[in-house]
Amino acid sequence: MSGYTLTYYPVRGRAEAIRLLLADQDIPWEEDEVQWQDWCSGNHDERKKAVFGRLPQFQNGDFVLCQSNSILRYLAHKHGLTGDNDEESAHIDMVNDSVEDLRKKYGRFIYFTCQEKGKGKYLEALPQQLEFFERVLSKNHNGSKFVVGQKISYADYNLVDLLQCHLDLSPECLSAFPLLRAYLERLVSQPTLSDYLNSDARKRRPITLKHKMAESEK
Amino acid sequence: MPDYALIYFPVRGRAEAIRLLLADQGIDWEEDEVQIADWVSGKDGRKKDAVFGQLPGFRDGDFVLYQSNSILRYLGNKHGLDGSDAHERAVVDMVNSGVEDLRQKYGRFLYFEYETGKDKYLETLPAQLDLFERILSKNANGSAFIVGNKISYADYNLLDTLHCHIDLSPTCLSNYPLLSAYVERLVSRPKLAKYLNSDVCKRRPITPKHK
Repeated sequence: MSGYTLTYYPVRGRAEAIRLLLADQDIPWEEDEVQWQDWCSGNHDERKKAVFGRLPQFQNGDFVLCQSNSILRYLAHKHGLTGDNDEESAHIDMVNDSVEDLRKKYGRFIYFTCQEKGKGKYLEALPQQLEFFERVLSKNHNGSKFVVGQKISYADYNLVDLLQCHLDLSPECLSAFPLLRAYLERLVSQPTLSDYLNSDARKRRPITLKHKMAESEK
Repeated sequence: MPDYALIYFPVRGRAEAIRLLLADQGIDWEEDEVQIADWVSGKDGRKKDAVFGQLPGFRDGDFVLYQSNSILRYLGNKHGLDGSDAHERAVVDMVNSGVEDLRQKYGRFLYFEYETGKDKYLETLPAQLDLFERILSKNANGSAFIVGNKISYADYNLLDTLHCHIDLSPTCLSNYPLLSAYVERLVSRPKLAKYLNSDVCKRRPITPKHK
């Protein structure tokens, strides 16, 4: 038993990249599920440990960490998912920060923009963002491997998750990006990751709290 | 000729935390200045090289890196400014992520809500500062650094972010004795004080909006 616990809402959101990393690396973890209303009420036990008052939160024994990207980097250092040398590690970090930039845009769109009015504008701006990642891939063995280097890194899990969020929003959004399309197909076919993606646990989690609310209103 | 070069606009912005780190550590660097108008128009050729189309960029010899926090972590790792062990490194990372969250809020306020949203922003600021005051209080009662007993890249980033807020509201730290003392302590460090009092630092506005 790894002794790892992930505390989050019953959605994919900012925890999913962490789940993809753990699942693909065959590292077991315990899901500590928190309902949004309970967290907001301030009464939840874990809230006392939450340094910035937010989730996800990660625990390894007595060690508690929050901030999704810090958790990703912590696990990556521990499990050899930060590239082969310091320069590669820095490039992975840079790409992950850019995944985070796009994730923030996505989050603002999902939570704060009127979907009907804002979707067109969001999707118009999206190709320019995806182009950056397509170009990064093209410069690494013509996109045939990972986003940086020759072995998988935490930036790959984060990027895979974010691409999946966008495909949910617009199934054709990768049609002009052959390398990203092939990259995504290649990564989700990896056996341990594929097992997780097809699991009930994964399938029953909506992407975000907004998706969850929409589902329960149906 | 220094090995390091920082590629950025002639403002503090997202490069200043990097400058504070280098200056305080006595590390030389070259400023590779980019005019904003030339960058936005695409006239400056360096935009094509920027992996995600944004600055700051950082050069270490032939190695080039973008994304301000990645640059901070790279320098943190290279110069022993990222905690004393793996756990502390993760905590420094986490606190820096919290600083980034505050910096994002500040940036959004400054660029999108400055004329109408100042009061509202200042009303929400204490809840953010509370978090850092609390973190400080849990580390040697606030008498050391934000994490651990040696300076880290998160300290430089937090210091710069606090400076931005003091510029916005000079009394914003009045209810935060630990943060106030922390800022005073850091800015008194000799090399940092020298940099902060230098012409090059003083003539840079915080952001293009501050000119």
